Amino acid sequence: MTRHVVLVVEDDSVMLGVLTLALRNQGYQVVSAGTGRGALSEISLRTPDAMILDLGLPDIDGFEVASTVRDRHELPIIVLSARDAEEDQIRALDCGANDYVTKPFREGELMARVRAALRRPVPLSERRELCVAELRIDCLLRTVRVREKEVTLTPTEFDLLYFLAKNADQVVTHRQLLRAVWGARRGDDIHYLRVYMRSLRQKIEDDASLPRRIVTALGVGYRLVAVQDEEIA
Amino acid sequence: MAARLHRLSPYAIASAVVALSTAIAYAAEPYSELGDLAVVHLLAIVLVSTKFSLRVSVFACFLSILSLDFIFIPPRFEFAWTDAKGGLTFVAMMVVACVISSLTARLRREEQAARAAAVRAEALFQLHVDLSTASDLRQLVAITSRHLEHLLSARVSILLGTPEAWREHQVSSRDLQLAEKAWARRELTTDRTAKGTSVWAPLTGLSEELGVIGVLSDQEIANDQAHTFLLTACANQFAGAMERVRLANAVHRTELDAENERLRNSLLSAVSHDLKTPLTSIIAAGSALLSGKNHSVSVQRELMATIVGEGERLHRLINNLLSVARLDSPSVELRRTPESIEEIVAAGVSRVHSLAGDSRITVDCAPNLPFVSAEPQLLVQVLLNLIENARRYAGAEARIVIHAKASDGMVTIQVADDGPGIAEDERDKVFEKFYRGRSAGKSDGGVGLGLTICRAVIRAHGGRISIRASGGGGALVEFTLPVAKALPDDAFDGEDKLAS
Repeated sequence: MTRHVVLVVEDDSVMLGVLTLALRNQGYQVVSAGTGRGALSEISLRTPDAMILDLGLPDIDGFEVASTVRDRHELPIIVLSARDAEEDQIRALDCGANDYVTKPFREGELMARVRAALRRPVPLSERRELCVAELRIDCLLRTVRVREKEVTLTPTEFDLLYFLAKNADQVVTHRQLLRAVWGARRGDDIHYLRVYMRSLRQKIEDDASLPRRIVTALGVGYRLVAVQDEEIA
Repeated sequence: MAARLHRLSPYAIASAVVALSTAIAYAAEPYSELGDLAVVHLLAIVLVSTKFSLRVSVFACFLSILSLDFIFIPPRFEFAWTDAKGGLTFVAMMVVACVISSLTARLRREEQAARAAAVRAEALFQLHVDLSTASDLRQLVAITSRHLEHLLSARVSILLGTPEAWREHQVSSRDLQLAEKAWARRELTTDRTAKGTSVWAPLTGLSEELGVIGVLSDQEIANDQAHTFLLTACANQFAGAMERVRLANAVHRTELDAENERLRNSLLSAVSHDLKTPLTSIIAAGSALLSGKNHSVSVQRELMATIVGEGERLHRLINNLLSVARLDSPSVELRRTPESIEEIVAAGVSRVHSLAGDSRITVDCAPNLPFVSAEPQLLVQVLLNLIENARRYAGAEARIVIHAKASDGMVTIQVADDGPGIAEDERDKVFEKFYRGRSAGKSDGGVGLGLTICRAVIRAHGGRISIRASGGGGALVEFTLPVAKALPDDAFDGEDKLAS
């Protein structure tokens, strides 16, 4: 099996050193860039499998780098930033980032996100059945089984879960979910989302008060967890 | 009746009185001497001169003399005055008329002056009372203008500061000149034209000129001393009140500065101490790892765990400081969305789990809690601070129960532990900045900011936070948050209508 190539875009050399060390330790091949322009040329030269992107770059704004990359490539982007405000996270995800990890982070957490990003099966949305961890979602019959036990979902709950499953292991913003399930007219009404999310969780979580399958990205959105990573928990 | 009498000409009234006295004298003539009849007329003159001016009195006096001469002094019904009989009486009557009416006039003048003085004193007193309740300059200007306009029935213009600042006011250039003159010379300046009168008085403060006050009238105002007196008195009162307000503001500012200084100092010392503590552990553990070649694996793991744990502590501390700075700024605006308490509690608890591994936290949320309108990160920070406090004071093994329920438009969240609890007299103080409970150790890394932030966050959301004893003897922190506006009933389509 060929080693995955991970591009690390980070202008702080100490941080870059730590990230390189950790990624190599996990068996990835690491290429690095200290600027946005450098990152764009590395992508066209080496076609990496995933990208870890710092937002504060000396030349181009990180958001711009993310959207430029997304316009041309499919490669997963994990934003790694000290900016922890929800607006920044939402903006990065809207720019095409697949995930967002705030600094300071734990090595285990970042590695789990990298693994999840690389795991993404490409034409996921075209398969009849989606399997995410203990969930089996039949897209034709619109049925859901949790650990082989069928649960009854309302159409809206199903649409929610289906959209999350298509983007398993990625943070899906409130707005993305609302648009996918309700269309543009409910684009900003988080209220609806929360009502349905609560009932969906009651049906598919073992303990709805401490959800482990659909986790909350506070103020940003939700993520359906594909692999229960011990390091995240 | 009296009012109608006053509207008649004083001369007509005087004539009527003399006619009446003549009639009485005529009726009494058969039983009286000439002297008696003169006294009847004298009475009439006294009566007239106590009421009317000197001219009217003299007029009445002449009428009486004519009446006496014509009717009563022989030859009767003739104006011939053959002998000097009665001449003395006439002179006496004239003198009495003059003396009494001038005395009356003086009395009346004095009375009017006294009444006007009383009105002025009352007005000034009222101004003083109103000014003493004012707390800012704008109120002072409004009150003074209102009083003066009412008292003098003229337009009042108050120009504050130095003449350079007056240009933008709507004052004519002529008035501006007068105002500047009054300001520069510290004296009243007056301008009288056919169009009207302007009077400007300086506002003299303790150390400098505060401005000028002007009275502008369309009508010509007589050179009235009372007018000037009122203006000067009002100007002085206004200047005094302005000085008082300025001093009070200055004192308030100084107090604020001192308080800020004190806070800054304690913040600096607390922050430098509390940032250094985890940093010291990190450096110590890291350097031990670097230099020690013969550490056992378990020692190495312990040192590494220290580095990570202390690093996390530093992170929380910085987040708390950032929140304090943000909530302290007067223009803070929360980014509120409808949030579910279950999600926030779950996020807080899972954060604790990821930091501390196993912990004994029980979550007990009432089913179908209404949403709260809140900024989620701040609420998680509140929960983390409360949980951290519980673990710090009740021990890492403490059993923590988080309980949420809704009532009366509020959601109530309780965080209870089974530790030693908190003394009753400390329950309010622990929310104050940099106050730390008596049981807090010197080096446990707390800055005394945790609960302060909790209170600031909850208050900013429109809720309340308090501490009391929990049923098990430990501490129970309870906070409330207002419920977010409910969705309309038709928000959910048919099949998806949710049972609640």
